[in-house]
Amino acid sequence: MKTSALSALLLGVLAAAGIRAEEIVVIVNPAAGPISKEQIADLYLGRSGGLTPVDQPVGSAIYVEFYKKATGRDIAQVKALWSRILFTGRGLPPKQLPDSAAVKHAVAANPNVVGYIEKSAVDASVKVALPLD
Amino acid sequence: MNAQPLRETLRRRVGRIAEPQFLFPLIAVVLLAAMWGATLGLIRIKRAEAAHDAAILSRELLGTYEAQVVRVLREIDQTLNLVKFWHERTGMHGTLSELEDRGLLPPDLVFSVGIADRNGTIVESTRPLGTVSVAGQDYFRKQRDGGSLFVGQLPRGATGDGRLPFTRRLNAANGDFDGVVIVTVDAAFFVSGYDASKLGEHGVLGILGTDGIFRVRRSGESMFSGDAIDYSSLLPTPDEVEAEPPVSLGSWDGVWRWSSAREIYGFPLAILVGLAREEQLAAVQRDSIGYICRAAAGSVGIVLLTALLGRMSWQLAQSRVRESESKLEHARRVEYLAYHDGLTGLPNRSMFSKLLSQRISEARRYNRQLAVAFLDLDRFKQINDTLGHEAGDQLLQEVGTRLQGCVRDSDTVARLGGDEFVVLLPELQDGKYAATVAQKILAVIGKAFTLIGHEFRVTASIGISVYPQDGQDEQTLTKNADIAMYQAKAEGKNNFQFYSEKLNANSLERLTLESSLRHALERDEFRLHYQAKRDIRSGRIAGMEALLRWEHPDLGTVTPMQFIPVAEETGLIVPIGKWVLKTACLQSVAWQNEGLPPLSIAVNMTARQFSDEYLLQDLASILEATGMKPQLLELELAESLLIHDVENTLRILTGLKSLGIRIAVDDFGTGYSSLATLQRFPLDTVKIDRSFIGDLVGPSENAGLADAIIAMGKSLSLTVVAQGVETKEQADFLQAHACDELQGFYFNRPLPAYQFAKLMRAQTPEITYRGTRAGLQNPQP
Repeated sequence: MKTSALSALLLGVLAAAGIRAEEIVVIVNPAAGPISKEQIADLYLGRSGGLTPVDQPVGSAIYVEFYKKATGRDIAQVKALWSRILFTGRGLPPKQLPDSAAVKHAVAANPNVVGYIEKSAVDASVKVALPLD
Repeated sequence: MNAQPLRETLRRRVGRIAEPQFLFPLIAVVLLAAMWGATLGLIRIKRAEAAHDAAILSRELLGTYEAQVVRVLREIDQTLNLVKFWHERTGMHGTLSELEDRGLLPPDLVFSVGIADRNGTIVESTRPLGTVSVAGQDYFRKQRDGGSLFVGQLPRGATGDGRLPFTRRLNAANGDFDGVVIVTVDAAFFVSGYDASKLGEHGVLGILGTDGIFRVRRSGESMFSGDAIDYSSLLPTPDEVEAEPPVSLGSWDGVWRWSSAREIYGFPLAILVGLAREEQLAAVQRDSIGYICRAAAGSVGIVLLTALLGRMSWQLAQSRVRESESKLEHARRVEYLAYHDGLTGLPNRSMFSKLLSQRISEARRYNRQLAVAFLDLDRFKQINDTLGHEAGDQLLQEVGTRLQGCVRDSDTVARLGGDEFVVLLPELQDGKYAATVAQKILAVIGKAFTLIGHEFRVTASIGISVYPQDGQDEQTLTKNADIAMYQAKAEGKNNFQFYSEKLNANSLERLTLESSLRHALERDEFRLHYQAKRDIRSGRIAGMEALLRWEHPDLGTVTPMQFIPVAEETGLIVPIGKWVLKTACLQSVAWQNEGLPPLSIAVNMTARQFSDEYLLQDLASILEATGMKPQLLELELAESLLIHDVENTLRILTGLKSLGIRIAVDDFGTGYSSLATLQRFPLDTVKIDRSFIGDLVGPSENAGLADAIIAMGKSLSLTVVAQGVETKEQADFLQAHACDELQGFYFNRPLPAYQFAKLMRAQTPEITYRGTRAGLQNPQP
């Protein structure tokens, strides 16, 4: 019992450290224009359209981290918000993509797409619109 | 006939109500009732309105929710049918991923799709369903047995992350059971549209199965699943469908709500929307409290206001009553004062006049006599002037009281004004009664009065007239009583007189005299005549006496004996006396300036003059104004006057002497004063009364008396003057007894100024009295 708790704690610390070490960046197509933090928040909360946001898998670490940093909301709040929009027929939540590679692929293919990946995953195919801290 | 008394009673009742103590509370009650009635009515209306609005709103929200739920359900069913179709078409594997790639599956956020084989094992799913086999689930088993869409349940309790499974049966090519396709939806999703701004914190939004079990319900932020309710009672009957939903109790949480429910067409589900009564009415409740507070404040206001107004009205009524009472009192007083004398309380002139007329009528009717007695206090003016008005008033009051004590109840005593009183004796048995009463009055008046601490005596003069012989009407009777009174005064005062015809003339004359006298001074009708006083040895003029004469244009020469008493009585003597002194002094000074020898001049002084408070002042100013030497002025005072109040006399005489004026005692021998008294006074001259001189040559005892008096005068070292010498014999006697001066007709009658001056000028040192009477009377030039 004690050892599993201890290892969980260790993992948590590592995870936290890992997350801290792993910065998230918002990426756009290299041809796309600049984008502000407010715009990102509005996009991912369904308050405005224009661009096409994409999500990482719901409930994943990066998903939770992104929403927290970009919109200041936790997963329950995000879910409730998007449920409401979806239920009342006012919109669709961002499409879920399986991983950062898929995100990069989607962003590179379409100048309207916006996504988020680990900073370390950034390459020449995409442009960093905004680092999140 | 019956209406009459009824109307009366009604009018009286209304009148009573109109009184302040009933009216104002009544008004207050009416106002309060109106206000509270309106307020409570308003509250009731507002509540009904709010209830109506809530019911309607719940109906509206139901409509919206229905549309949303139907859309979602249709999408779910579409997905189920799509997967079923694709799977049945293409086989078991890869269906979901293919559909997903084409974007044909609902969003991952809320939905997940899965396929289970005929054994219940999950072969595909968009997200991990958390279990490998669903064989145990009722939604699996149901599909194995049936074929329509089935909606699973969640366990009873808080919903949390629970997901609702929607399933359809998968068929093999031959129609056998081939497994199920499952779409799970976050239960919370179905109530994610809960709008707290419309539904409040205690409204309800929920999905039920046709089995009566809640799949999910939400109130505020809390979501629950699994409660069972009475499904049949929830849904409206066909006639209730269009009507407003009533308030009902939610059995799952005990809240009263306006709830609407509806079955979803094509699905084994129903929706429920409810608005909590307390919440919906909360605003109205607040407002109601506001209204009630205002009504309460208004009530207090009304009560206070009506209390205040009532009080004011009552006070007004009180003050009106008081005012009318005081007016009445005032009116009574005025009436009393109109008919009564303020000082004595006796009836006044106007009342007496009325009374007299009345009594005369009565006397005429019953053939009776009546008497009117006018009463005047003698020398009242002197008392008033010397002692002051307070003493005068006291005297009048006391007189009024004493007079009332002299008469019967049926008689009347009245005060006509000043010192005039009148007594009315209406039921005269005989003339004697009037006389008896008059006598009694005189006696009573004659008793001493105590005024300002001292004792004084007064007397009265009474004049009586009798009806019908002395007059038949008010004016005549009063006039004749007045005339009788004047006669009483003329008769020496302190007596009563009955009216008689012959009095009329005298009295008229007297009245004329008095009024003429008032104007005599200003009309310059007075003159001074001078009578020479001769020295007994040398026969020369040693001095003179100034005597007052009155030349009236109509009455002619009025003798002092006629007018002096009137002047004394009326007080006119004072200004007349001043004129006399002034004229005498001026004349003396004028003669001295002409070179005539300075002679003493004597002026008579009356009691009234003597007691005048300004006597010394006036004399001093006259002496100064005229430049007269005081030693040449001699004032003659009657002996009786001097001894009336010895101390007072002494004081005044001392004052006169300090001015340098000489004092002479007039009418000496008539006053019964002792030598001792005389010695106290600072006297310069004694004038022997003419009555003694007249007796000189008669019986020897009278001669002896005159002798004694001369001796008395001489013993006092005073100049002795004999008055009223008329015969030679008298003159001889007097000379023999060494009287100093003679004065009298024998030698000279009083002459006017210019004649007297001639007399003085004509005087030679050697003139003697031994000439003929004629010679002396007509002295040589």
